[in-house]
Amino acid sequence: MRSVTTEAEPTRPGPDVPIAVEFDGVTKRYGETAAVDGVDLAVREGEFFTVVGPSGCGKTTMLRLVAGFEAPTDGRVRFGGTDVSGVPPEARDVGVVLQNYALFPHLTVGENVGYGLRFSAPPGGVSREERIGTLLELVDLPEMSDRDPESLSGGQKQRVAIARALAPGPDVLLLDEPMSALDARLRERLRLQVRSIQRSLGITTVYVTHDQEEALSVSDRVAVVRDGSVAQVAPPRTVYRRPASRFVAEFVGDNNVFEGVVAAGATSPEGVAPATGGVASAAEAEPVENDSDGRQVVPVDVRDATLAVAYDGGSAERASDEGVTTAADANGTGWSGTPRPGDRVVFCVRPQHLQVERAQNRLRAGVESAEFLGETTRVHLTWSGRQVVLSSEEPLSGSVTVGFDPRDAHVVEHAAPDGTADTS
Amino acid sequence: MSDTSRRLRDRVERRALTALTAATVAVLVVVFYYPVGTVLVEAVVVDGRLTLAVFADLLRDPFYLGEFARLFTGEGPVAVARAVAAPDRRLGIVGFTAYQAVLSTIVSVALGLPAAYVLARFEFPGRRTLRSVTILPFVLPSIMVAVGFVATFGRNGTLNAVLSAIGGPRVDLMFSLEAILIAHAFYNAPLVARVTTAAWESVDASAVETARSLGAGPLRAFLDVVAPQLYPAVLTSAALTFVFTFGTFPIVLALGGFELATVEVFVYRLARDLQYAEAAALALVELVIALGVLFAYLRYEAATAVSSRRARPLPRKLLWPDAWTPRALAERAGIVTYAGFAAVVFFAPIASMVLASVTTADGSLTLDHYRFLLTRQQTGAAFQVRPWPAVRNSVLFAGASAMVALPMGVVVAVITTRASRGRSLVGAVAMAPFAVSGIVVGLGLLRGLVFGVEVAGWRIAVAGSAAIVAAHAVAGYPFVVRTVAPGLASLDASLVESARALGASRARALFDIELPLVWPGVVAGAAFAVAISMGEFTATVVLATGTDAYTMPVAIERFIGRRLGPATAMGVVLLIVTGVSFLVIERLGGEVRDY
Repeated sequence: MRSVTTEAEPTRPGPDVPIAVEFDGVTKRYGETAAVDGVDLAVREGEFFTVVGPSGCGKTTMLRLVAGFEAPTDGRVRFGGTDVSGVPPEARDVGVVLQNYALFPHLTVGENVGYGLRFSAPPGGVSREERIGTLLELVDLPEMSDRDPESLSGGQKQRVAIARALAPGPDVLLLDEPMSALDARLRERLRLQVRSIQRSLGITTVYVTHDQEEALSVSDRVAVVRDGSVAQVAPPRTVYRRPASRFVAEFVGDNNVFEGVVAAGATSPEGVAPATGGVASAAEAEPVENDSDGRQVVPVDVRDATLAVAYDGGSAERASDEGVTTAADANGTGWSGTPRPGDRVVFCVRPQHLQVERAQNRLRAGVESAEFLGETTRVHLTWSGRQVVLSSEEPLSGSVTVGFDPRDAHVVEHAAPDGTADTS
Repeated sequence: MSDTSRRLRDRVERRALTALTAATVAVLVVVFYYPVGTVLVEAVVVDGRLTLAVFADLLRDPFYLGEFARLFTGEGPVAVARAVAAPDRRLGIVGFTAYQAVLSTIVSVALGLPAAYVLARFEFPGRRTLRSVTILPFVLPSIMVAVGFVATFGRNGTLNAVLSAIGGPRVDLMFSLEAILIAHAFYNAPLVARVTTAAWESVDASAVETARSLGAGPLRAFLDVVAPQLYPAVLTSAALTFVFTFGTFPIVLALGGFELATVEVFVYRLARDLQYAEAAALALVELVIALGVLFAYLRYEAATAVSSRRARPLPRKLLWPDAWTPRALAERAGIVTYAGFAAVVFFAPIASMVLASVTTADGSLTLDHYRFLLTRQQTGAAFQVRPWPAVRNSVLFAGASAMVALPMGVVVAVITTRASRGRSLVGAVAMAPFAVSGIVVGLGLLRGLVFGVEVAGWRIAVAGSAAIVAAHAVAGYPFVVRTVAPGLASLDASLVESARALGASRARALFDIELPLVWPGVVAGAAFAVAISMGEFTATVVLATGTDAYTMPVAIERFIGRRLGPATAMGVVLLIVTGVSFLVIERLGGEVRDY
C-alpha cells in the first residue's frame, strides 16, 4: 500500500544519533512560579526540534535556558553530554534568532552578519568577508551587505538574523518565534526556507513557536508544552494522530473531544451474550467486540449515545513515545490496557473524520454556523448540547446526521472508575 | 590571534564589568561613604563614647527645630500643632529650610508647567533649541547665578536701573526670601519643564482621540487622559526640586546671608567654627529628611514606571494660528505674558552679570573689572586667589572628574537597568550623593583623607586637588547615570542577548552594541559631569580653603567684595570656559547618529 510510505515520517535522526542538547530535570522558577517545571528532553544532532505551546507555557524560557540567557533553578542542561548550566551564552556555540531579530541598528547588514566572527575564526578557513558573502547568499540576500538594517523588510531582517546566527558556525541554532512579526503568506514561505537551510547545513535546531501548524509543518519532532511541563514529544504526525493527552488533542489542530464511560459488552469476545447470572459479572467482562467489518471495537456511552471506538490491544508506551514511529504506531488507538465496563474514557475525532450520513456512530446534530475557509467549510454543530466541529466540502444547514469510523477515534484518557489513572 | 591570547582576552573581558563595578563601589566608599561616615559619626561619638546627647540637645533646641522642638521636650503633639498654627510661630533653621524648599518647589512648578505646555503642545521656530536650552540653568554654577541675581535684583542692579529710568520706586530684593525663591525657580523650573514636556510628548494621541470619540470634551479629555500621565512627571520634578532646594547652599549664602540661613549654611558655619559634633548632627537631620523624600519618590517612580513605547504624539498647535479666535488670542496673550516673565527670571540674571562686568556703578562702560583680574594675576600675593590658576584648576578638575564620573555612571546605569538582582539596592546606594550635603562630603574628605587616615600603621593622605576631583566625580556621576540609563533601558534586551550568543562577553556587548546606541546620552553625561565640576562650589570651598587648589567658583566668591564688578568679570570667564567646554565635548563626541 502506498500510504505506508507517504505516511512514514521524513528522514530524520534516528535513535542511534547522539544527543546534542539535553534537559535533565530542568526547573526554572521566577519567585514562586515555575516557568519550566522538571523537564526532561533530548534533542538529537541534526534534528529540527520544535517546542510548541500556548503563550506563557514556558517554551521561550526553555529556549533561553539552552542559549544560556537563564540559568536553571534546578536540574542540568547538557550539550553533547557536557553540563553547560553555568556556561555564559558567549561560550556555548549557539546561534540565536530572537522574536524581533535584534539586528544591531548601528551596523550594516554585513557587519551584523560578521559580528560573531570578531570572536571566532570563520569555519572552513575562509576569510571573514567570504563567510559573510556565503551566508548572505544562503539566505538569498546577496548584494545586501552594505545596507542599513532599518531599510529592510520584516522578512529580510529575519533572514539577516538567521545569517548572523549561523555565521560563526554554531553547534545549535535556536529560533524564538521568528515568524510572529510576519504576515501569513510570508510566514509560510520563510518557514520552508528555514527548513531547507537547516537541512542543507544539518544543524541541530530548536525552534519555539505558539503556532501548531508551523510546528507540524517543519519539525522532525515536536514537544508540546503546557504550564512548564512537556505534554508530549513525538514526530508531528504522531502528535497529530495520537495525541498523548486531551490538552495535546485540543491544542494541535481542531478536534472533537468526547467524554464517556465504557459500556458493558453487548457480546463477549466469543460472541456469547453475557447472560445475567452468568459466570462472569458484567464488570469483569471485556467489552471488546467486533464490528460489522470484523474489527475490534469498544462501546462507549457518551451522553445518550453509545459510540464504538476501535481497540487494537492497547499500547503502553504511548505517552513516552520518543523513538521510531511506524505507520502502525501512528494509527494506534490509544487505549492503555484492557478496557473494562465502567472505565472513564476520553477520545477525540478530527473534524475531517466526521462524515455526513455515515453508517457508524451516528449523531443527530443541528447546524449552528458554517465558516467557508476556501478548501473546506468548517461546520459547527450542536449535538446533545455540546459543540461538534466537522469539515465538509459543501455547506450544511438544518439538521444532519454525522458519523465516524471507530478507527478514527483516538483515546486520550482512559482510567478505571475509581479514578486511578490507567494510562501510565 | 592565537588561542592562548584569545582565551586570556576572554577571561579579562568576562571580568571587566565585575571589575568596573568593584572599582565604582570602591571609589564611592573611599571618597563618599567613608568620609561622610566619619563626619556623621561625630554626631553620636563624643570623646570616644557613643552618645545621643548632641542629637538630643539639637532636637530640643527651638533655634533649630522651632516649635517642633517642643515635641522632643515632652509636649503633646496637639499643643505643638496649635503653636505651629499660631501666627507668631518659630520655625527654626530646619523648619525654615523646609518652608523655603516647599515654597521654592511651588514657585518652580508654577513657573515650569506653562513652559512645558508651550514646549509640548506648540510648534514654532527654535522650539527644539529652546527645549535643549532648558538643561542649561541646571548646570550653571550656582555662585555665578547668585552673582547674576545680585547684579539683577541688588540695590544697584538692572531692575532698579530700569525702575528708576521709568520713574518707579527702588526695590531691594536682596537678602529676602523672594530673591531666594526666584533663584531656586531659576534652577528648578526648567527641570520641571523638561520632565513634564517629555511626559506630555509621550502621551499617545490615539488615547485622547478615543476619549473624544467616547463623548469627552477637550477639557474632560485633558483631565481624564492627559493629566494622569503628567502627574508622575510633575511629582518627580517636584520631589527633586524639594531635595535640591532643601540642601541649597551657595544661593542662600550669597542671597540670604546668615539672616536667612538654611541647614546647609549652618552646617558650614558650625564646621567653620570647628563645632563638628553639632555640624554633623545637623547634617544628619538634613540627610534623613532629604533621603526620606528621595526614597518616597523612588518608591513612587517604581510604582508608576511606564515602559517606553512608541506613541503617536499629540499634534502641535502653531504659535501663530491660522485663525485668531478669541480662545486662540487669549491663549497667545497668556503665552506672551509668561514669556516676558520667564525672560526676567532666566535671562536677566545672566545678561545683568555680563552687563555689570563691563559697566561702572554710574552706568558707563568700562573694562576695569577685567583689568582687575589681570592685575591680580600679575601682582597678587601668594595667599590671594588669582584668576589663571582658578581657570586652569577648573579645567583640569573638570576633565579628571569626568574621566572618573563617566565609567562610574555607565556602570551604575548598566546595573540599575540590566541586572536582575540588587538593582534597587545599587540604585539607592549610588544615588545617595544626590541627597547628601556637599558640605559634609567636603568636610569628610578634608578631615578623612586630606588630613590623612591611619590604616594598619600606614598614614594615607591624598592631595587636596585629588580630593576635589573625587568630590566632583561623585557629584557628577549621578547625572551620567541619569543621561545614560534611560537610553539603556529603552534598548531591547535581545540586542545584548544576540551579541552574547554570537560570542561577545558582557563587557564587549556593552562597548560594541549598547554604548554606540546610547552615545548621545554618554556625550551628554560627559558634558554634565564637566559642567557640574566647573560649577561645584560647596565641597570645593571646604577643600580648597587655604590651598592653591581653588577653582573659578571659589574665585568668584572671593572676589565678591564691596564692588560686584570683579566677581561678575570672573563669572563671565566661568561662563565662557564652561560654554567652550560644552562645545569641545560635543565635537569630541563626534558624529552621533540619531536613532
